[in-house]
Amino acid sequence: MKKIIDSLLVLSFIFTSSAVFAKTQISWWMEARAERDPIVMEKLVNAYNSSQDEIELVIEFTAQEVLGEKLRTALISGGGPDIVRAAGPSFIKEYQMAGMLENLDSYADQYGWNDKIVPWAYNSGVFDGSLYALPLTYESMIMLYNKTLFAENGWGVPTTLEELENVASKAKAMDMNVYSYGSTGWQPTHEHLVGIYLNNYAGPENVYKALIGEKKWTDPVFVEAIELLRKHMVDEGYWSGSLENYYAIDWDQFHDAFSARDAAMMTIGTWTFQRTEMNFSSIDDDWGWAPLPSLSSNSPNQNFMLAIGTSIGLNPNSKNKDAAASMLNWLFSNKDVVINLSNSLEFAEFNLPLYYEDSDFPTDVNPKIKDFLSTFGKVTGEGNYGYCTWAFWPAEPGVHIWKDMEVVWAGDISVADYMADHQKLWDKARDKGTTLSIPDR
Amino acid sequence: MKIFLNKSLIAWYFILPVLFIHLFVIAIPSISSLALSLTDFRGMGKLNYIGFENFIELFDDRYFIKAVYHNVIWTIAFLTIPVFVALVCAYLLTGIKRGQLFFRLAFFFPYMLASVVNCQIWKYLFSPIYGIGTVLSGFGLDLFTTSPFTTKEYSLFAVAFVDGWHFWGFLVVIYLTGMYQVDSSLYEAADIEGASKYQKFRYITLPMIRPVLVFTIMIITIWSIPVFDYVFILTKGGPAYSSEVIGTYMYSQAFERFNVGYSSAIGTMMFFYVLIIVGLFGILRRLGWEV
Repeated sequence: MKKIIDSLLVLSFIFTSSAVFAKTQISWWMEARAERDPIVMEKLVNAYNSSQDEIELVIEFTAQEVLGEKLRTALISGGGPDIVRAAGPSFIKEYQMAGMLENLDSYADQYGWNDKIVPWAYNSGVFDGSLYALPLTYESMIMLYNKTLFAENGWGVPTTLEELENVASKAKAMDMNVYSYGSTGWQPTHEHLVGIYLNNYAGPENVYKALIGEKKWTDPVFVEAIELLRKHMVDEGYWSGSLENYYAIDWDQFHDAFSARDAAMMTIGTWTFQRTEMNFSSIDDDWGWAPLPSLSSNSPNQNFMLAIGTSIGLNPNSKNKDAAASMLNWLFSNKDVVINLSNSLEFAEFNLPLYYEDSDFPTDVNPKIKDFLSTFGKVTGEGNYGYCTWAFWPAEPGVHIWKDMEVVWAGDISVADYMADHQKLWDKARDKGTTLSIPDR
Repeated sequence: MKIFLNKSLIAWYFILPVLFIHLFVIAIPSISSLALSLTDFRGMGKLNYIGFENFIELFDDRYFIKAVYHNVIWTIAFLTIPVFVALVCAYLLTGIKRGQLFFRLAFFFPYMLASVVNCQIWKYLFSPIYGIGTVLSGFGLDLFTTSPFTTKEYSLFAVAFVDGWHFWGFLVVIYLTGMYQVDSSLYEAADIEGASKYQKFRYITLPMIRPVLVFTIMIITIWSIPVFDYVFILTKGGPAYSSEVIGTYMYSQAFERFNVGYSSAIGTMMFFYVLIIVGLFGILRRLGWEV
């Protein structure tokens, strides 16, 4: 009898102590990427879990194509991870409107997030006056060029439309494509180009006015911008030689083509740094980056388009909201952790929009990327910024801007009709209240 | 108790589990979809009843109409080319005594491959960088320099070709099985009468395999409505909606634009279309056709 009582005592001690000392587990579903995931595990998950004893961060990697649907289904059914992730503000807004995001105002006050995150990025998660999401990665569109090729031929990096068309004709004369780029595998790639032409031809000021409803998208300045894009894409075949090739080439192929001198330049987002650096590390050529050229007098200053590639919030059904918020605060408060993680990914991801000093960056940061980060901070800090479509367009006009661009390129509708359709979708979005927070000028 | 052990009920007991699963997997989602088509549901959050607004909008949606038109072309293409080729091949195979298994396996093999694998093979074949176009241009031939999947004039037919290429082997096996059921004495009699190979095919084989043929026509017609995977993987319905079909358009509305109510209305239209096709075949059966 005594043995039984002893055994029961031991067992009850084990159960009690395991409950008392068990860590609070918080979950986060993230899109899977083979080369990146081990870095995230080491420099985010392990770093956080070893930094304290109370909370355990668990990341579940899921294929990018299904993550959104899986997350949405889980949230609708009252489940899902503690940390909700979405591909930027327009997607996170849909969750917020459906009541599937926790209001973060109290955590923002408690942790002082407003002082840690740069205002335009912080405001991208503010809806109806309250904070619902934090910006996990900021990004922009840039132009890459083959530095060695440009030096060999005495070409200057184009900063205006005239210079661009001049370099383009020289590249073509050498049987080379102007830009390397393609959309197979990711059809919304078109919006990168539309965004460039809207911002760098029509100008950020006009785009801002259209975003807040002070100007119509049918304005001639926008029609001219898209007409120029149509000319460069269809008539001139700037991207990968022809519209058909642009449609047929994927991420690997256009990167390989760029490093193989099949093209002189590449229009792409800052998420390319890791891949471009990898490709060029094994060849003699060197690459460089530059801001996108100004395409008209409407866009006189060098500017960078603002974008948030990933936003994160908290699941209102989570039982561990405080623990999850504490983990997010740890991430947003530790610049060294962020830079260490992001640097390992060549600042293509986990590029948190915090206030950085030059001294925050270790010496092993790629000088090209460091140059971009400091230039981006300086230029946007002076108010010279534009707007990426995937960060500031509501869902339906956001799909229209790239999906129906193909119809214009196919010659099935005119640019004016395309912009008229676009304006209708914006009117609809305004009526439904799905518009997003736009950084002021 | 005895009433539950009645022999006539035993079949029901075996069917019930399947029926139960169907109720949750097919019936309830289908009815929900019908209901959602009358709302402005965005996939999450609140929904509002909007009557037949989605359906009215559908008839005014040029891309939906285009998708329906593409589905009709797709159905016609699949009812003609793969059926014709499979019939001819199956008939020719009946005359092969040695190595027939090899041909049957070879023709059927693409059907066993996952659609993603099939599509990737064809995508690479037509890649402007690594594809056959670059190989042929090395010989001075300007063929396939651009991918047909990315050319608006050919994209729908190119996708249909790949799907047809994977599908026709399945038809060969079905027709071949049907042809082996035909009484050989009919062919012997025809041989005595001096009938040609074509005459034997036209007057013996075709009429004798008519139930199989009509069955395949029915399944092709029905399967052509929700066609999705090959289009989605190869072109996503593009370029410029040139290969958009109802299935991909429905997906785009639901998962890209968050118009779940509108997407459900498209699904409802598909449901009624399939219902009409099945009804037509039911009427033909009642009229005495061997369907």
